[in-house]
Amino acid sequence: MTKFNFYLGAAASAWLLAILVIIAELVEPFKTLLKDIFMHHWIGKGVLITLAFLAVGFLLKNKTSLGKIPDDKLAWYSVLGSLIVIFLFFAVEFLK
Amino acid sequence: MRDFVLFAHIILGLALIAFPIVIILYLKKQTNWIKPLSFATAAISWILLLPAGKLYITFYPATKTLIKAGAWPWAHSIIMETKEHWGLLLPIIATLATGLVFTGKAKESKKWWILTIVLSILLGVMGRIVKVGALQ
Repeated sequence: MTKFNFYLGAAASAWLLAILVIIAELVEPFKTLLKDIFMHHWIGKGVLITLAFLAVGFLLKNKTSLGKIPDDKLAWYSVLGSLIVIFLFFAVEFLK
Repeated sequence: MRDFVLFAHIILGLALIAFPIVIILYLKKQTNWIKPLSFATAAISWILLLPAGKLYITFYPATKTLIKAGAWPWAHSIIMETKEHWGLLLPIIATLATGLVFTGKAKESKKWWILTIVLSILLGVMGRIVKVGALQ
């Protein structure tokens, strides 16, 4: 039995970060809320994705897949997907 | 103060390129210092958030004003915005790679170490673009 699922923790962090980035940019009160709670929206996002990494890693420690997707593949494509989504989001926001 | 934080940021960032390269080179040889070096790399990736945050939160706003008023506003709006958020995933990626080394999945950790190296290099290049953007 494993003590922590690093793959699923990382996958959860990756997608949460992409979601937080998009919502914070599109919904100003949410960005303000992050700032009010954590002093800065960047700190808020960092704290929240770290908590998601730890919580999901511990809670899903016995899982080796989500549905039919193996946890290692899920983590890899989630992290790469999150990095791409974040870049594309800011590029589109600037160009529109 | 700013210079000290900047140098710490650069040195720790370079360590996140150099250490994973060493780890990858010795991954198959099962040397007994791979685990401590992996742990140190993950620890550095978290510690790096301190100078990164100090630079971004305290010193960057003035640079941001310069960039947005200059000829390269995209250096902030695309490059810096992306950089500041990609940087938050770096410790998660390095910790995942370290976790795999510690749980007997050293072979599987290789692509995550490569991602750590690539992302660290990209973040460094993006930082340079932002710096040049402030001078345009």
